Amino acid sequence: MTGGVWLLRRLVASVAVVFAVITFIFILIHLAPGKPCSENLDPRVCILLTRQFGLDQPIAVQYWRYLVQLAHGNLGMSFSLRRPVWDALVETVPFTLQLAGAALVLDFVVGLGLGIYQATRVNRLPDLMLGNVTLFIYSLPTFWLAPILLLVFGEKLGWFPVGGASDPIFCPQVDSLYCVADRLWHLVLPATTLGVVGAAGTARFQRAAMLEVASQDYVRTARAKGVPERQIVLRHQLRNALLSFITRFGLAFPFLLTGAVLVETIFAWPGMGRLAFDAILTRDYPVVTASALIASTVVVAGNLLADILLGFADPRLRVHAAADADIVTA
Amino acid sequence: MLRRSAFSVYIVLIVATLGACERRGGCTTAGCGTLIDAAVVEPPTLLPPSTEDIVANDIAEQLFLKLADVGMSTNTVGDEDFQPLLAQRWEWDGPLTLVFHIDPRARWQDGQRVTAADVEFTFNAYNDSIVASPFRPKLQRIEKVTQRDSLTAVFRFREKYPEMFYDAVYHMRILPAHLLRSVPREQWRTAPFGRQPVGDGPYRFVRWQAAQSIELVADTTFFLGRPGIRRVIWRFTPSLPVAVEQVIADQADIREQLVTPDNVERAKTAKQLAIYPFRGNVYTFLSFNQRAPGDTSKPHPIFGDRDVRRALTMAVDRASLVKSTLGDLGQVPPGPISALVGIWDPDVRQLPYDTAQAARLLSLHGWRDHDGDGIRDKDGQPLAFHMLVPSSSGLRKQYARLLQQQFLAIGVRAEIDELEGSVVAQRTGSGNYDTAILSRSNDPSPGSGITQSWTRAGFGGSNFGRYYNPEFEHIVQRAISAPKRDQARTLWRYALETINADAPGIFLYALANVGAVHKRVDNVQFRPDSWAALLRTWRIPPDRLIDRDRVER
Repeated sequence: MTGGVWLLRRLVASVAVVFAVITFIFILIHLAPGKPCSENLDPRVCILLTRQFGLDQPIAVQYWRYLVQLAHGNLGMSFSLRRPVWDALVETVPFTLQLAGAALVLDFVVGLGLGIYQATRVNRLPDLMLGNVTLFIYSLPTFWLAPILLLVFGEKLGWFPVGGASDPIFCPQVDSLYCVADRLWHLVLPATTLGVVGAAGTARFQRAAMLEVASQDYVRTARAKGVPERQIVLRHQLRNALLSFITRFGLAFPFLLTGAVLVETIFAWPGMGRLAFDAILTRDYPVVTASALIASTVVVAGNLLADILLGFADPRLRVHAAADADIVTA
Repeated sequence: MLRRSAFSVYIVLIVATLGACERRGGCTTAGCGTLIDAAVVEPPTLLPPSTEDIVANDIAEQLFLKLADVGMSTNTVGDEDFQPLLAQRWEWDGPLTLVFHIDPRARWQDGQRVTAADVEFTFNAYNDSIVASPFRPKLQRIEKVTQRDSLTAVFRFREKYPEMFYDAVYHMRILPAHLLRSVPREQWRTAPFGRQPVGDGPYRFVRWQAAQSIELVADTTFFLGRPGIRRVIWRFTPSLPVAVEQVIADQADIREQLVTPDNVERAKTAKQLAIYPFRGNVYTFLSFNQRAPGDTSKPHPIFGDRDVRRALTMAVDRASLVKSTLGDLGQVPPGPISALVGIWDPDVRQLPYDTAQAARLLSLHGWRDHDGDGIRDKDGQPLAFHMLVPSSSGLRKQYARLLQQQFLAIGVRAEIDELEGSVVAQRTGSGNYDTAILSRSNDPSPGSGITQSWTRAGFGGSNFGRYYNPEFEHIVQRAISAPKRDQARTLWRYALETINADAPGIFLYALANVGAVHKRVDNVQFRPDSWAALLRTWRIPPDRLIDRDRVER
């Protein structure tokens, strides 16, 4: 019951955060200079279009109209794409989820594995080497890494496709095993760009967390009792070191989504990040606001998920949450 | 051990499955072939009157026919150089009436006949202010279009002029009235037809995958003959460098504009690519706003003075700038025109590069360095201004820095404001700027472009700097109406010299286009005003087919 109250409170707070984000973005993008017309469009045509889309109305009127639309499940009509925003999102969000999912797997599976491996060989050659390698990778800026990977592995070596999400001739739709492989092949460079830097950071983070736990009494006791080393690492060290890992997992979502904007643009990946970036440049207000809505929902949901996972991983946090809920309900 | 063996078997099976499936081959004859164009911009719609987007135009060339089209000469005067398309033939019925006879074989891709009613419907749609077509101003001298019978369309003009035929056929792509009549005009910009069009051209629409590609397939029943290449795909890439990388890496077949010398050099190193230079249709200039920023009732404190504009123009070594930034890919335009326009003449008189004369002219008008800070001033005001440049254009940003240095050499300070394209559009469109580096694309005809951008007809429109010289406008009108080409050419030359002397802007460069196409493609012809206009005549000989050409779907 108390857990349910806690969850309800978090859900209400999450909805409030998402609402605040879209309000902030709506006001900010409307206040920004620029208009949804290209450089070469005749200003007279632009004025006509501005009227057609209701952009000549005061911002408060536009905001109210937007909220009414939103309440009816309507995200509006894109100025630049000339189609419902919902349709554009339905087509692009799955691509961003594929990219972010692959990057997330790379980030946390590889990062976790490397962190554990280093912690079990602390201060030995593999640990030192991996420590330097991960530091090097962690220091690489994504905006540099992306075009370099594209140039070297796409253009020069020809191992991977130069942008895009699929082969437009053989796989316009993913309807066979070959096309699944084709999609994965197209995913390699963008997912690597997005995930590898995070993986390096996760590895360093996990190594430190594992080492911190290694000096705890219960680990030394287990070792003194003759518990096999593998069991100590997996059952005693890793489980306790997972708390910081889960926190990092929750925080990874905003970084993945912001990173996706750059990576999708450079690799011509048809996701929501690229859609949002183009929309900002063309002042496509409905798309910008809808993208913010989706992004903030994903981030808030990610953090909520991390909190729930923390509760499962650490019973002490469940007790604190229950106590907090009791205080509130009292 | 057993688990390892099972794993190996799985791997072998997966590899075998992937290898065996999908690489569906088969087409090996003439008429096979797939071309992938590495496009940089995704069009918003494929409904022709609703967009001026370049890629939309390239695709529309394949889907919707015009009544006739300009030839390779791009001569727009008279009708002798035009090629029939939808119209099998035409004749003049008096000085103001043009009659088109529609080819009875022409069909919409849903099987309906193309009729004169479609032509009349199209003209009315392009002219409807609710549709807000960017082509509408170019049709102003056509009074009406009617149908004499189901295959005869009659154009009635308001006046007689040499480019009557060009205006009648060039700007409009004929639309299917039976499919669009029921769509309210205020919804045309977002009409579903624009994302799933039914045309009458050499190719049929197949699919549009948002942010990925648009695919067309040859219409084997096309009444003017089956296209030489079976499938054409426009693949969208958000940046030019990646698009160029795709053709170099043999993952695309066409990049119609390489834009920079560096890209051209890189494309030349790719063995599979052939390079095709052709005339460009864009010129770039530094626009001087002649009215006070944000207040068109007052002259600009600096650029309202013709001699100051002339001095600044003379302070810029345009030839050296073009050479250093563009090499052979650019030229100094002889006025506000691109190389596409037939009146291009390098011998047109222009203001010389003469910094001494520029400095003298400024001093003569009281702009001297009174306080010794290196910047000229008058009545306590420094000779300083802002220069808007879109942050998306590397070339224009480079030019802004070079111009800044050249102005500084004669004691003029220019602050560069690098802003997003949408902000530049808003500031220039509302007249809220000092100077801006802008680009304009031309039709083959000089008339409409110059009228819209450099005469009073463009006030509130594309004449951002509000340049106005009655003498220039008079000459332009005479040139547009000149009955003979030589006479028109002389008048245009005079008009260009007049505007050059007024210096409403510094005409910086006109880009030459260079395209790259896979060498297996034969009969490649780039028409300068529209590279894809003759795509249906391109061919891939059977012995040069590669994997992607043979695929059947």
